[in-house]
Amino acid sequence: MDNYLAGNSPPPPPPPPRPKWRKVAYGGMQIGYDDNYTDETFLEEMVMNANVVRRDLLKVMKDSVSISQYLCIVALVVLVWFHTLQSSLDESSLLLLDLSLLALGFLVLLLTEEKMLSLRLLLRYVINITFFTTGLYVLAPVYQTLTRSISSDSIWAVTVSLLLLHLFLHDYSGSTIRAPGALKSPSLTSCISVNASVVASVFVASRLPSRGHVFAVMLFSLQVFLFAPLVAYCIKKFSFGLHLGFSFALMGLTLYSVYALHSLFFVLFLVLVVVVNVVCPYWLIRMQEYKFEINGPWDEAKLCFDITD
Amino acid sequence: MAEPKLRVLMVSDFFFPNFGGVENHIYYLSQCLLNLGHKVVVMTHAYGNRTGVRYMTGGLKVYYVPWRPFAMQNTFPTVYGTLPIVRTILKRERITVVHGHQAFSTLCHEALMHARTMGYRVVFTDHSLYGFADVGSIHMNKVLQFTLADIDQAICVSHTSKENTVLRSGLSPGKVFMIPNAVDTAMFKPADVRPSSDDVITIVVISRLVYRKGADLLVEVIPEVCRLYPNVRFVVGGDGPKHVRLEEMREKHSLQDRVEMLGAVPHSRVRSVLVTGHIFLNSSLTEAFCIAILEAASCGLLTVSTRVGGVPEVLPDDMVVLAEPDPDDMVRAIEKAISILPSINPEEMHNRMKKLYSWQDVAKRTEIVYDRALKCSNRNLLERLSRFLSCGAWAGKVFCMVMIIDYLLWRLLQFLQPDDDVEEAPDINFCN
Repeated sequence: MDNYLAGNSPPPPPPPPRPKWRKVAYGGMQIGYDDNYTDETFLEEMVMNANVVRRDLLKVMKDSVSISQYLCIVALVVLVWFHTLQSSLDESSLLLLDLSLLALGFLVLLLTEEKMLSLRLLLRYVINITFFTTGLYVLAPVYQTLTRSISSDSIWAVTVSLLLLHLFLHDYSGSTIRAPGALKSPSLTSCISVNASVVASVFVASRLPSRGHVFAVMLFSLQVFLFAPLVAYCIKKFSFGLHLGFSFALMGLTLYSVYALHSLFFVLFLVLVVVVNVVCPYWLIRMQEYKFEINGPWDEAKLCFDITD
Repeated sequence: MAEPKLRVLMVSDFFFPNFGGVENHIYYLSQCLLNLGHKVVVMTHAYGNRTGVRYMTGGLKVYYVPWRPFAMQNTFPTVYGTLPIVRTILKRERITVVHGHQAFSTLCHEALMHARTMGYRVVFTDHSLYGFADVGSIHMNKVLQFTLADIDQAICVSHTSKENTVLRSGLSPGKVFMIPNAVDTAMFKPADVRPSSDDVITIVVISRLVYRKGADLLVEVIPEVCRLYPNVRFVVGGDGPKHVRLEEMREKHSLQDRVEMLGAVPHSRVRSVLVTGHIFLNSSLTEAFCIAILEAASCGLLTVSTRVGGVPEVLPDDMVVLAEPDPDDMVRAIEKAISILPSINPEEMHNRMKKLYSWQDVAKRTEIVYDRALKCSNRNLLERLSRFLSCGAWAGKVFCMVMIIDYLLWRLLQFLQPDDDVEEAPDINFCN
């Protein structure tokens, strides 16, 4: 404050006692005060860091579990892709995996949903799933030959960058695919993220040897990328403890599978999980001290009610 | 013919034929400065096919620079593109003071930068308020800091706006003057026969129907007031994206006969709309000054307004009822306004406004600022660069580079066309 007041030139003292300076704009120049007069009340109404939320390390760490959980899911998908490409996973086991995932996901959605399931809704779900899988099956030969003229190196490079884009733009706080009747529509970035993951799946599927493989892998990838966030979100909403348990189980499973693949990847993945869950939250808390927020009468007023357009 | 005292160049993207607070301010200020014996030239960008030099009332010369606006009437920021034409205008008109208006006018920022490079005295008027939190404001504030780093004097339209500008730009408050807007009281006179307020009370709203002007508040307030007072009717002038919401509100509460929607009202017709009412309602969420309130008060209307930005400074407490920007408080304020309405005499209010605000007064106070600017010592390039360098770790260096290149370009232009080769425009006196 003091350095602001220092630059002000004192007005010439008139012989009669000056009328008190008022913070008003009307009535011309105030007698005894220049237009650049700066009163002691200058910036009196300024408020600093009024809305800053003090964050708690444990809470931030708990919140970051959602991120590492999704990292594990993506890592598992990549592992399945890898094993399929290496032919260590055959078609029938892949289809079995697809079916069991579908059933499990459906079960979770049913158990965490408050509403009771009606026969009509069930029928609608079944019809939708049938359409989806049939469409995928019909299109599988197209996917298989889609990138034949492109070299594998380019495909891997593009897939990795698309997956990174997917992870970067993913909506970790909710789910892009929403339960029917949700109010808010998904943001543009999360839609880009979903699209990136779908394109990555198509690219990987196009390198597979047979039509059946393509169908099974595409179904698996789409199931996970589209519906895993929704299932995880439902679990989190249902019970936070269950969410933590599920996340740690996933982490264990992923770490074990990565370890079975290569110990270097295991170390890298472990470091990544530690950075996401421990280092980044600590960093965020440390950065809180640098928070500098200014509010005052010049701020745009916030409406105290919701606008529903 | 006497030599003009000062030769002022007003620069802004916003000028007639566009309408708004800034356009009005520049026009009236220029007219009054002309009357005080100064020479005033306005520089703005081309509007439609209106390019080149035009003359307005009183010999106000306007340069419509052939530079197309790209968004919200702003010219595309090219940083150096306007240097040749700014230099030519400054030389042709033998300008002594350059006065830029409005923080989000790119033309104004560029012209002020070039004028500083050429060693002219510059004054800047800020007409709006900005926050500090969102991405847009952060970048705008950095640009403002760049322009104001090397400015001679700045003007703000209210004390709140001064606080805001000082915080945003880091200027010393002693360099920032508070000179408000004014109103042409001769144009905004109360009706000869005032509509009686005994049977029907008319509340007038004239504003663009956008979020920032609080159109959503109106949607909540109007039905509630209509429910409480069966003798109140509303007249809403203005257009905008929230027009549909107001129409919906009107239909939902079946108020078609009590809420009149006029659509966009041209400035020349504002007075004729204002004089049909008793109370003027302003629901803005942010406002540096709000000329609309002045126009309404000058027409003898009692004003009800949200307490935001510089609005509380604009009128004496007995001429305005202020409310927090939430529907309940605004309804209470309108209740209060209706209760004190019988004691309001429009003619008396108009005469008070004549004493409180006049553009002549604004021009005289601005003259003082120009004199101050002329008295400032002129610094050389190196001294000025050190001021830019202090603007920020990265920004400071970028700003310095921008200024150095501007200086080199200016020297190149001087080499290609020496200052003496620029033809000087003759001063034509239109006053007699």
